Amino acid sequence: MRTHFSRTAFLEGIRDMAPMMLGVIPFGMVCGVGAITAGASPVAALAMSMIMFSGAAQIVATQLLVAGAPFAVILLSCLVVSLRLLMYSATMAPYLRPLDRRWRNLLSFVLTDQAFAGTLQRFKRSDDLRANASYFLGTGVLLWVTWQIATVAGIVAGQVIPASWQLEFVVPLCFLAVLVPLLRDRVSIVVFAVATVTVVALDAMPLRLSMICGGLLGIAAGIFGDKVMGKRG
Amino acid sequence: MDRELTIWLLIFAVGAITYTARLSFIALFARRDMPPLLAEALKHVPVAMLTAIVVPAVVFIGPGILRVDPGNAKLIAALVAGGVAWWKQSAVLTIAVGMGVLWSLRWLMG
Repeated sequence: MRTHFSRTAFLEGIRDMAPMMLGVIPFGMVCGVGAITAGASPVAALAMSMIMFSGAAQIVATQLLVAGAPFAVILLSCLVVSLRLLMYSATMAPYLRPLDRRWRNLLSFVLTDQAFAGTLQRFKRSDDLRANASYFLGTGVLLWVTWQIATVAGIVAGQVIPASWQLEFVVPLCFLAVLVPLLRDRVSIVVFAVATVTVVALDAMPLRLSMICGGLLGIAAGIFGDKVMGKRG
Repeated sequence: MDRELTIWLLIFAVGAITYTARLSFIALFARRDMPPLLAEALKHVPVAMLTAIVVPAVVFIGPGILRVDPGNAKLIAALVAGGVAWWKQSAVLTIAVGMGVLWSLRWLMG
């Protein structure tokens, strides 16, 4: 299917993702500072944000560089922290299927935790593929551009936002705003409970593997729950 | 190896990893149908993954320091914000109330 750009939906995506930027900016600054600390030149530090475009991978890569870890270990570690992206990709796949390839390739590049959480409701609510794709692109473009600006700010100024402001807490609050309305059936509450217990119990695992394990066990509990409690409506 | 060269190689290698992970299933299932079990599993990804991201950010007050009592300001803030998200599905309101509660508690607790 040919996809045309919808300017209205693109701007809606930007508008809806805007509050999240409060939490994304301090994180991007941390990544800029971290890259410089790891010995990157300012250009390389920015390229890291432009090309990797993943806070989790950037933090792991720079910390391991500072620790003097071998190249292969850094790659493997970045692969592990990127595993959750596979789940986002699979979840978005049915929605993006009717799009043409260029759109799929472009939207894949901006598929982040934030864009995933932010577009999910939109794709569930509306069947207008053209508008949805443009909305997704809007959230992704805002995230990408903000990420670069925050990185540059971190490179140039260092971490100037006081940690005591705890602005990073805006990100989990945004996810909470998406998560809570989903907890309206028994199976989802079981998924929530199993994921919660798992992620807390396995917190000591390296590379935040507890997050992947919590997610996977939660999903398994959901499949089991569907079988036992019947399909959810 | 030269540090700058290592970093550039890393940028492109990790960039390839993150992009491949993002594109993976989107490209794979663009032309073929998804196995039913996978489709079944995907329904639960949003709740499972969002929980796995949000919960640790709320219940741990430092690396490995679990705190599930009213002394954890983030926990109280998240519970109130969660209530707001339940009644009013608004990200702006959820953030405003959550951060408001967090900052107020910090101020009250000194």
